[in-house]
Amino acid sequence: MRSQLRVLRGCLAGLASVALVTFCAFRLNLNLSTSGSLYFLIVMMVAVVWGFWEASVTSLIAVNCLNYFFVPPVLTWRVSDPQNWIALATFEITALTVSRLSTRAQDKARAEARQRAEVEKLYELSRRILYLDRRLTIGPQIVSLIQEIFRTESVALFDAALARLDATGTGANDLEELARSAYFQDSALEGADAHTRADVLRLGSRPVGAIAIRGRELGRLAIVPIASLAAIALERARSFEKESRAEAAHQTEQLRTAVLDALAHAFKTPLTAIRTASSGLLEAGRLSTDDTELADLIDEQAEHLNRLTSELLQMARIDAAEVTLHRERVSVLTLIEDVLAQYSEQLHGRRLEVSDSASDLEVYGDRKILMAALEQFINNASRYSTPGSPITVTAEENLGEIIIAVHNEGPPIRPDDRERIFERFYRAEEARHRATGTGLGLSIAKKAAEAHGGRTWVVSDAATGTTFYFALPRGIRRQVDSVARQDSDR
Amino acid sequence: MIPSHGKILIVDDESSIRRALHNTLHGMGFTVDEAANGEAALQLVREEKYDVVLLDINMPGIGGIRACREMRRSLPRLGILMLTVRDSEEDKVLALDAGADDYITKPFNIRELAARIRAAVRRSSASQVDPDAVIRIGIIELDPARRLVRKAGEPVHLTPKEFDMLRYLMAHAGLPITHARLLHAVWGPEYGGELEYLRTFVRQLRKKLEDDPAEPAYLLTDSHIGYRFAEAKPEPVEEKS
Repeated sequence: MRSQLRVLRGCLAGLASVALVTFCAFRLNLNLSTSGSLYFLIVMMVAVVWGFWEASVTSLIAVNCLNYFFVPPVLTWRVSDPQNWIALATFEITALTVSRLSTRAQDKARAEARQRAEVEKLYELSRRILYLDRRLTIGPQIVSLIQEIFRTESVALFDAALARLDATGTGANDLEELARSAYFQDSALEGADAHTRADVLRLGSRPVGAIAIRGRELGRLAIVPIASLAAIALERARSFEKESRAEAAHQTEQLRTAVLDALAHAFKTPLTAIRTASSGLLEAGRLSTDDTELADLIDEQAEHLNRLTSELLQMARIDAAEVTLHRERVSVLTLIEDVLAQYSEQLHGRRLEVSDSASDLEVYGDRKILMAALEQFINNASRYSTPGSPITVTAEENLGEIIIAVHNEGPPIRPDDRERIFERFYRAEEARHRATGTGLGLSIAKKAAEAHGGRTWVVSDAATGTTFYFALPRGIRRQVDSVARQDSDR
Repeated sequence: MIPSHGKILIVDDESSIRRALHNTLHGMGFTVDEAANGEAALQLVREEKYDVVLLDINMPGIGGIRACREMRRSLPRLGILMLTVRDSEEDKVLALDAGADDYITKPFNIRELAARIRAAVRRSSASQVDPDAVIRIGIIELDPARRLVRKAGEPVHLTPKEFDMLRYLMAHAGLPITHARLLHAVWGPEYGGELEYLRTFVRQLRKKLEDDPAEPAYLLTDSHIGYRFAEAKPEPVEEKS
């Protein structure tokens, strides 16, 4: 879109050159063909410097000068020899064709140069996007970067995730509107004038925002790669943010773990010394009956304090685990086996039965926390059941949940208590007299289930006894016995 | 009833625990020395001959696990018992991999500790065993040379891998064997993480050897850590012989 002034200037320059050549050639009495070549040269130069239209005007002036001054009879418009008509026509057509070709080559070179410059700018944009300041909001940084590199008039960026508009440059208000509507219409838009465009920012096919740019120097299609780069910049900023949030959570967890470990150490040390001393006194066997009774009491209460400490710490760990569960695939049968291995000494003659249904069930969860929960159920059952009666552990899959149940015989839990026994430090009236619990165990189990998106409940009546349930969202089914079969086939 | 039972080194950074252990173990007939950290302990084991070292895992300085590794390198027959707290299974596995014989969780009952110490003393003073000697534990009998296993005199059919696993566990009866160590010993060094293999084989072995596979008396699970073959004869009937 060159201005008319520029065309006029070209034409005038052509006219001046033709006039100069005519004057010189006429004074020097040059013949028709020599002066024709001189005119041709001028037309070519005009075509190269200005363009096709200027060259065309120049060629028309030149052909007329050629006719008037050099075609015999000279200084008339008449042409006596018909051959000279052919010469004039040939001159005009050749001049037009050649100037057309040269202009085209020129245009192409110019377009290539512009494209190269644009690619260089895009490259610079992509490079500098990597160095954006992660601590600051990314939107304003992107728009001013585009403004600076592409020398646009104004830029507006709409970030859909934050519903945020950032703009820079003059008259950016309508650009903001344009960017927003490009996003909501999910398509590229043209602005009010020819230099204004908007395009959607996409990651894959997912729109994440839109950008609107006004700039004369910007190629028609340049907005497409700019939009891609802006989309990448937004996404990058977002993942950095996510990463630093995860990092912060991780540090919080580490801190909590460190504090809990220090606490554990601080409590366990005196407890260890007390228990060593009390059990040592008993073991030495030099005490009177009364002394033995007292040493026994110390030993028993130290152990109770130890259990309370363990459970408090466990509770605190599960509270912490709500932030980060260390999930893995856990075989339900293995889980039950591991817990039973730890609890076998504390069952006091109560028999444990595990159903086969657990053999191929798996959950996706935090092994330690799940173990802590199941441990509490079995601990609870072993404490409140009738001595010598069996405790049954079963596992089954039902409606997308893995349900682990621990059943024991014994006095039922009162209906009022069935909800409340899962509360921290709540102990049923009867339980306070019968067994040495801490009031924490079942709340640990409940917390553990909830941390995994599961739940706990209890069913209890005098006829069948008490069953505690622990339900978790289903994991992946897998056959684990295939390895054994392979070996036994040998 | 209390002869000199052996020489013990207690290594713990907490003086209250050292004091309590020192007095109780001394009262039970052991000769006892103390060290407050790993460095001092390493110095002592170089100068004196101990039967068993009680080594706390969590200590400032080089810590229990490194101290354990160093001791094991120079004294392969020394009994090393680690003192740990609950919920630190990773530490226990590290300690066992570093060469510890066994671990005990604080706070412990002194009777249990004394039993472990006695077992360790026995082991460290026992002469080198013939690898082909028949192993008899409770009603289970394993003949390595003939690759035969009997339960209460009745032959038990085991697959080759089941036999190898049982043999390894029985040869180290009473000691915890970590999952990784058992996998290495039976399947080879390229194995280590295949826990389900182990669990499956242990289940099979229990079905064949235990009276009640749900409550094993011989092939015991050490939660998170590995397995342990019972050392003492679990059946009181066997005590007569």
